[in-house]
Parts: sequence; structure tokens; C-alpha cells
Amino acid sequence: MWLLTLRDLQWRRRRFVIAVLATAMAFAMSLLMSWVNARLHGEPGRIVAVLDTDAWVVEEGTSGPFTASTVISADLAETVAALPSVSAAQPVVLLHSTMQARSVRDVNVIGLPVEGWGWPQIRHGRSPTGPGETVADIAAGLGVGDEVFLAGRRLVVVGTAAGVSYYFGAPTFLVPLADAQAIAFAGQPFATAIATDGVPSSAPAGFQVLSPAEVEADLARILESSTQTIGVLNALLIVMAAGIIGSIVYLSALERTRDFAVLKATGASSGALFAGLAAQAVTLSLVAAVAGAALARFVLTPLIPFDVDLTASSFVTLAATALAVGVLASLAGLRRATGVDPALAFRAA
Amino acid sequence: MPDLSVADLTVEYSSGGYVARPLDRLDLDISSGELVLLLGASGSGKTTLLSVLARILTPRSGSIRLGDTVVSDLEGAALTHYRRHTVGIVFQTFNLVPSLGAAENVQVPLRLAGVGRARAQARAAELLERVGLEDRAGHRPGDLSGGQQQRVAIARALAHDPPLVLADEPTAHLDYIQVEGVLRLLRDVASPERIVVVASHDERLLPLADRIVELTPRAAPAHGAPPRLELAAGQDAFRQGDAGDFVYLVEEGEIELVRERVDGSQEVVARLGPGRYFGELAPLFGLRRSATARAATPAVVQGLTLADFRRRMGVGAATQVLRSGTV
Repeated sequence: MWLLTLRDLQWRRRRFVIAVLATAMAFAMSLLMSWVNARLHGEPGRIVAVLDTDAWVVEEGTSGPFTASTVISADLAETVAALPSVSAAQPVVLLHSTMQARSVRDVNVIGLPVEGWGWPQIRHGRSPTGPGETVADIAAGLGVGDEVFLAGRRLVVVGTAAGVSYYFGAPTFLVPLADAQAIAFAGQPFATAIATDGVPSSAPAGFQVLSPAEVEADLARILESSTQTIGVLNALLIVMAAGIIGSIVYLSALERTRDFAVLKATGASSGALFAGLAAQAVTLSLVAAVAGAALARFVLTPLIPFDVDLTASSFVTLAATALAVGVLASLAGLRRATGVDPALAFRAA
Repeated sequence: MPDLSVADLTVEYSSGGYVARPLDRLDLDISSGELVLLLGASGSGKTTLLSVLARILTPRSGSIRLGDTVVSDLEGAALTHYRRHTVGIVFQTFNLVPSLGAAENVQVPLRLAGVGRARAQARAAELLERVGLEDRAGHRPGDLSGGQQQRVAIARALAHDPPLVLADEPTAHLDYIQVEGVLRLLRDVASPERIVVVASHDERLLPLADRIVELTPRAAPAHGAPPRLELAAGQDAFRQGDAGDFVYLVEEGEIELVRERVDGSQEVVARLGPGRYFGELAPLFGLRRSATARAATPAVVQGLTLADFRRRMGVGAATQVLRSGTV
């Protein structure tokens, strides 16, 4: 049956090539969505880890430092630092803004004391040493020495870092606290949260302590509907891929009805006929998966405005999905192959 | 080499809800080494008989024996083995797989039976040489003439060197030049070690055959005077599936024409009184009786030869019968 499968693939190659291309496109988009989803899923954990804080002190009733900015006094850091189990505390400003470089773009801004902690690992350049300097996420597309305006304030990029984007891949600028306060509070000594080294056993009156896990969960919450939507779209793409392969295999089975009848008349079992169809569908699906992976990796990924997580597991998942799609698609021709009456071979064409 | 024995073979299928019986209590014995030609018009059961011999169809009753094997009883693995190894089939429309080359088509039955690639290739090459197509081994069916395709089909049928080869209308799609090669090949295939059964209505095959079996139910020539039947209520003048002999005229009483349905019930399709003819289609067109004629009341019917019937109906009797729509 393998010979028949192979020859039929060669015989109807034009149609199969078209089906493979269409399915490859669906697989590529599916892979890309998986990568984007992985990226979105990983965002909260990554940014929380970068800031390397044992606990966050925010105003009571606030869902989290990233999702609800409330203005608090920066001096609160001294009070928090004096709490039992806390060895240090620093004011932090987290806000959304826009950048003006080559174009206007939504960005995140994180203000940290220059001498404090939470500065990301620098890929190129260095961390800021004073006001007017910034570390830019590579997703912003800027290099060391570039000038950027955040909410009208001029900053010079002195370093770049990777993986500090959040809110659907929006790039982040890490700036000295004074610059953040200038952007958000007209230079007033305010903050939006207090980051601590050590976990306070209690919070000052009117404030609450959040663990990094709680902050991460809060940040993930706002991504949930988006990641679910992407998941649904991804599933639809897989269904579409199965539909394309299934249609082609069904058409092939339809045209080969007489062949199947002849094969049955000469002793082929229904199982062997189905195995041939399944092999054809799985081959098409796997070839489409390979083409789709190449398309996603080398053509589509560069078009995405932020880093995507090219995980090996996503390729393995795609291969497994392609296998399942192939088997599922072959069911479309199952009845045609196994239900054919061998007596048909005797009828005139 | 085994002989083939067909006894009391009946095949039924459904046709528009009615029972069609293309083979009805057929007996046939074929000795090993014989080339038997099944002759008959379309619908006479030639292809049905081949299908049953190939065990693609299962008979309603009766038996088929090939040597010690009761072919009609085969099931499951034994049936698969029979289809793969014991019988080779040459189909009317060649039925070669279009995506495969000639040699690959010949290899198909071998590979299906688990024969290794090298052995299958060697056997295919040997068979293609035998049918004179060794230089066309890589050609697909679409690149071969009808005659060449039929020769490939014959080679495929011989792949397992089966003791029984069945050929359905092997010359139907060939011109006279191609026919010659196929005829010679079929005669060659029918060796002392093999039975070849050919179904055809091509009379060019007649000189080839060791024996001719006519499946068309010829109207029994009237020997003596046609019968005058006095029927009691419920008695049959003839039965569905019988060969057509005479046309009948109702003189007294009423006759019902009854057809068997697939579910076993019977349907009255016409009720005829005195002065009406029935049973004219079968003798006129060489068909089997398509219904049973049964007396609904005590009745008297007079048999007529076709000649008498034509004389009474005048020129265009057949046309009138077809237009009248009676059975």
C-alpha cells in the first residue's frame, strides 16, 4: 500500500502541493500564535522576576502595582524599611506612557532609584548613572546613544535589555526615579508602590503587602481573555488545517473508488486501504507542518514587533498536532475506502 | 488441477425494491484446462456469474466448488486468501491503477499478498515479457493503448499463477487490431493447469472456446402446439425468472401479474381479464419473466407462439407491447 500511497501523491502532486501550501499557512499562523501566547503567558513572570522584589507595598484596595497606579508618598519607603523582616525598601514608579522616537508608541515606564535594585541585565551599554538616561527594552527598537522622548521628557538610551516588555509586548523603559517622577508627578516625590528586600510581616495602616506571585497573577489576569482568544483562534486554525487535508484526502478517495474496488477484489483488506489513505493524509500533514514551521520561523517571525518565544516544545507540539490532523483527516475518506463494494470493479466505467 | 463445479446456483439482488434473480438454479461443470466462454446478452448474468466465481458476490443459494474448496462457503481470511491466490480477474475496463506504471500494476496483487519487493518486480518483469510489454514496464496506463492496457490487466491477473482466471468482456473496448493480440493471449493463458472463464457477447471469441455456455434465457422453441392451460385459482402459468416461451391470451377468468419484493412480499402489478395478452416481453426480447402470472380466479389461457402473436398484432407488435406497458 505504501507504493500506491507514494504514487498517488506523485500522480496528484499539483493538488497536493496546493493543499500543503494552504495547510502550511494555517500551521505557520498556529505556530506563531502559540509563540505569541507563550510570550504573553511568560510576560508577567519575567517582568516580576526582573524587578527582583521580595514584596510589594501598595495602597489598600489596589489590585497590584502594574495594573492600578495609585499615588503614594515616596517617603513611605523609609517607614516600610523599618518594618520587621525588611532589610531595605525603595519607592518605585510604574506607569504607561508614550514614546516619541521615530514614531509615537505606547510604552511602559518603570522608575527605580539609580542606586537601588531591579535594574535588568544589560545586553548592550550600561545602567543609568543619573537623570536623563534610560535602559530600553530591545522591543523598542532603539540602540545605545539614541534619543527618546517619554511624555515629552528627553532621555538618552544608555543601555538595552531583553525580555522587559509587558502588556502585550509593549516595550519598557527603565528610568531613574527622578525622571519617572518628573514624567508622572511633575517632579513631586511620589511613587506608585514600594518594593522591599525581605517580606514585611504587616503593612502600614492603609496599605497592603503583595507577594511577587500575587503581583504576577494580577498582571496575568488582564492577559487572560487575550490568551484565551488566541487559544480559540489557534484551535480554529488546526480545524481548518484538518479540513483542508480532509477535503483533499476525501476527493482523492472519491476519485479512487474504482481503484479501491479493484484492490478489494484482488484481496486487499479494508484496513490496508484505510492505512494507505491515513499514510497519505499524515504525509501531507507532516510536510505541511515542516513548511509551516519554516514559514513561521523565517518569514512571519521577523514581522512581529516583539520577540517571540521560539520554543522547541512548540515544534514538537506542531508535529504531534500534524500527526493528529492527518489521522483525523483520513477519517474523511474512511467510508469511501472501506465501504466500497468490490463488485464495482466489474461495472463499466 | 481442480475442476470447477457450480450447482443449483441462485443469485438475487434488489432492483427498485423488487427481487432480481440474474442467476437462477444454474448448474455448470468446467474441467481443468478448459477455456469456457459465457455468452449472453446484457443482463443475462454473465458478469454476475464471474463476480460469484470471484466471490465478490455471495450467492443466495447453491454451491461453487473448485477442487476440494467450497468457494461459496469461504469467509474471512480464507476468502481473502482465495481472492489473492486462487483467482485472477481481467476486468472489462482494464481497471489499472492510473498512478502506477505497468510493472507496478502487475506487482499490486503480489505486494498485497506480502510478496517481497524484489520477487514482485522479477515476477512482474516476467509477466510483462510474456504479454509482450517488457519495453512498456514504466509506462502508466494513460500512456498505453487499450490493447496494451488489457495485456497488462491479463498479466496482473496471472501474477499469482492462479488456477482460475476470469475475464469480463476482455475485448469490449478494443479495436480489431488490438483484439487479435488479446485473443491470442487468452488462448495462451488457458493452459492445462488453469481454468479460464470468459464472459462476452463478442462472437469473435467463439473459435477460442473449448466450451460455450449460453446464459441468455432463449425462448424455448415451440415444439408442437402451444398449450391451452386451465388454471385453478392460485395456480401459476409461469413464474418470475423463468425463460420466456409463449405469449398467453386470457380466454376466461382473471390473471394477476405478481412481482416479488425484496422483503418477501408480493405485489400485484396488473390484473387481466378475457381478451388480454400477457407474457409477451420475455419471448419477444429474450428476457426472463419479470413477474409471475397467477390465476386470480379459475381461468383458461391460450398459449401463442411468437409468430402467432405477431400475426395477430400485425407489424410493429414489439412497439405496441412496449407502449402498452404490460409485462
